[in-house]
Amino acid sequence: MNPGIDLQGTFIETLMDLGLPAGVAKAIWMPLPMGLMLIGATMGVLVTTWLERKISAAAQQRIGPDFMGPFGLLAPVADGLKLVFKEDVVPAKSDRILFTLGPIIVVIPIFLSYLIVPFGQNLVITDVGTGIFLWISLSSIAPIGLLMAGYASNNKYALLGGLRAAAQSISYEIPLALSVLAVVMMSNSLSTIDIVEQQSGYGILGWNIWRQPAGFVIFWIAALAECERMPFDLPEAEEELVAGYQTEYSGMKFGLFYLSSYVNLVLSALLFAVLYLGGWDFPIPLNLLANLVGVSDDSSWLQVVDASLGIIMTVFKAYFLVFLAILLRWTVPRVRIDQLLDLGWKFLLPVGLANLLLTAALKLTFPVAFGG
Amino acid sequence: MPLKFLKQVSDYAKETVQAARYIGQGLSVTFDHMRRRPITVQYPYEKLIPSERFRGRIHFEFDKCISCEVCVRVCPINLPVVDWEFDKASKKKKLNHYSIDFGVCIFCGNCVEFCPTNCLSMTEEYDLSTYDRHELNFDNVALGRLPYKVTEDPMVTPLRELVYLPKGVMEPHGLPTDARRAGMLPEEIAQQEANKK
Repeated sequence: MNPGIDLQGTFIETLMDLGLPAGVAKAIWMPLPMGLMLIGATMGVLVTTWLERKISAAAQQRIGPDFMGPFGLLAPVADGLKLVFKEDVVPAKSDRILFTLGPIIVVIPIFLSYLIVPFGQNLVITDVGTGIFLWISLSSIAPIGLLMAGYASNNKYALLGGLRAAAQSISYEIPLALSVLAVVMMSNSLSTIDIVEQQSGYGILGWNIWRQPAGFVIFWIAALAECERMPFDLPEAEEELVAGYQTEYSGMKFGLFYLSSYVNLVLSALLFAVLYLGGWDFPIPLNLLANLVGVSDDSSWLQVVDASLGIIMTVFKAYFLVFLAILLRWTVPRVRIDQLLDLGWKFLLPVGLANLLLTAALKLTFPVAFGG
Repeated sequence: MPLKFLKQVSDYAKETVQAARYIGQGLSVTFDHMRRRPITVQYPYEKLIPSERFRGRIHFEFDKCISCEVCVRVCPINLPVVDWEFDKASKKKKLNHYSIDFGVCIFCGNCVEFCPTNCLSMTEEYDLSTYDRHELNFDNVALGRLPYKVTEDPMVTPLRELVYLPKGVMEPHGLPTDARRAGMLPEEIAQQEANKK
C-alpha cells in the first residue's frame, strides 16, 4: 500500500534544505495544519447552519434564506457578525467567572477533538495512538461546562437545562463508547488512521457499516443525543425551559454555545464517516481503478487525485450524515426526559453490550472477516 | 421461566423493529416533501392578485356623500366620523370632513353595503402598516386616493390565487397571462345551454 502524499515530510525537508535545524522546521510546520483545521471546522459550521436552514425549508416547502448572497449563502455570516456585535450581558447576581468559563469549556474540547479527524493517510494533525479514546474522554468534558453555565446563570430554567444536558451527555456516553469499542476491537487499534486503513481495500464492501449493523445505529443515536440534536434536544426545549442553559447568554458567549453545538454535529458526522463509512475511502478501490486504466501506483498526479478525492469523500460522507440529522429533526418529535433515559439505559446500553459480545465472538470464529 | 424470558425478548425486539419502521416511514415523508416546490409568495417582490370580492381599505368619494350618516349607524362600532353642518342658503347638509380609522376598522363592509349614494367602496389595498397608529386614521383626502394595482406595479410580479389557476395547476409562478381559470364564464354556460336547444 502506497502511503500517499506526505505534506509534513516534504515541508520539513524543504525547510531543512534551506539550512534550518530540524526542530525549528517542525515548529514552523506545526501551526499550519492546526490553523487550517480551525478554519475548516468553522467553515464547516457555517455550511452546516446554511444547510440546516435550506433543508428545513425544503422539508417544509419553503424557500429559506434567499436574498443574502446567492441562495442565501451569506446568512450564516450575517448571523455570526450579528452575534459578534451584540452586547455581552452578564445577568445580575450570577457567578461571573463560571458564567464566562462555561461556554469556553464547552467549545475547546470539541475543537481539540479535531486533532484526530483524518482526511487522508497523512492528512491529519496528529495520528494519536489513542485517538478515539481521546475523543471520548474530551467529549465528557463538555457536560461540566454545560453544568457550569446552567448553575452560574442564576436562573431556574438554565439550571434545569444544564442538569438535563449533563444527565443526557453522561448517560449516552456509555452506549457511544460501547459501539466505538466494537469497532476498535475489529481494527485492533484506537487510532483513527488504523481504523480507516482496516476498512480500505475492498471499496464500499469493506466498510464497517456491514459488519456493525447494530453498532452504527447505536453510535448515531448516541451521537445525536450527545450533540443535543433534535429528537434529543430537551436541554434546550423551548416550550419548557426557554432555551435551557443558554437562556441567559447573549452575544459571543451564546455564539460559542451555538458554534459548539454545530461543530459537535460535524465532528460526530466526521467520526461516523471514519468509524463506519471508511473515512477517506472511495466506494470503489482506487488502485483497482488505476490498474484498470493502466496508471502506476506511484505516479505523483495519482497521489494528488487520491488525496483530494479522500478529502472530498470524507466531507461528502460527513455532510450526508448531517443531512440525515436535519431530516430526522423534522421527522421525529422530541422525546421526554424519562423516555430519553429509558432509551439510553434500557435499550442502547444492553444492545450495545450484546453487540460488543457478538463482535468479540465473531472475531474469534471468523478472524479473517472481523480482524482477528 | 426461560420461555417467558425469551418471549419478553422477542416482544421487545418486535417493538423495536416496529418503531424503526415507523421512523423510516416518517423519514420517507419528510424526504418526499423536499422535492415539492415551495408555494412561497415572496411578498414585496411578488404579490397575490386580490379576488374581486376582496375587502381592503375603504375608498371614499367626497362629492357623492350626502352626510346621511348611514355608514355610522350600520358600523358595528360607529367608526366613520362625519363632520357636517347645515347650509342655510342651499338648505342642505354640507360635508366638511370625513374620516375612518383603519386601526380600528374590521373591514366588514357594512358601510359600503348600505351607502345610498355609493360613495364608499372597497379597494384591494391591504398593506397598511405605519410607524404610528394615528397615521391609520384616514381623512377624506387619504380615503380618496386609489391604491396601486398589483398587476400594474412594475416592481411587483403578480401571482394568481389558487382558485384563479387553470384546472390541475397548483403553481402560480411562470403561468402565461392568458391562461384561463378552471370552469366557464356565465355567458359561456348560457351559450352552451342555448346551443343544446
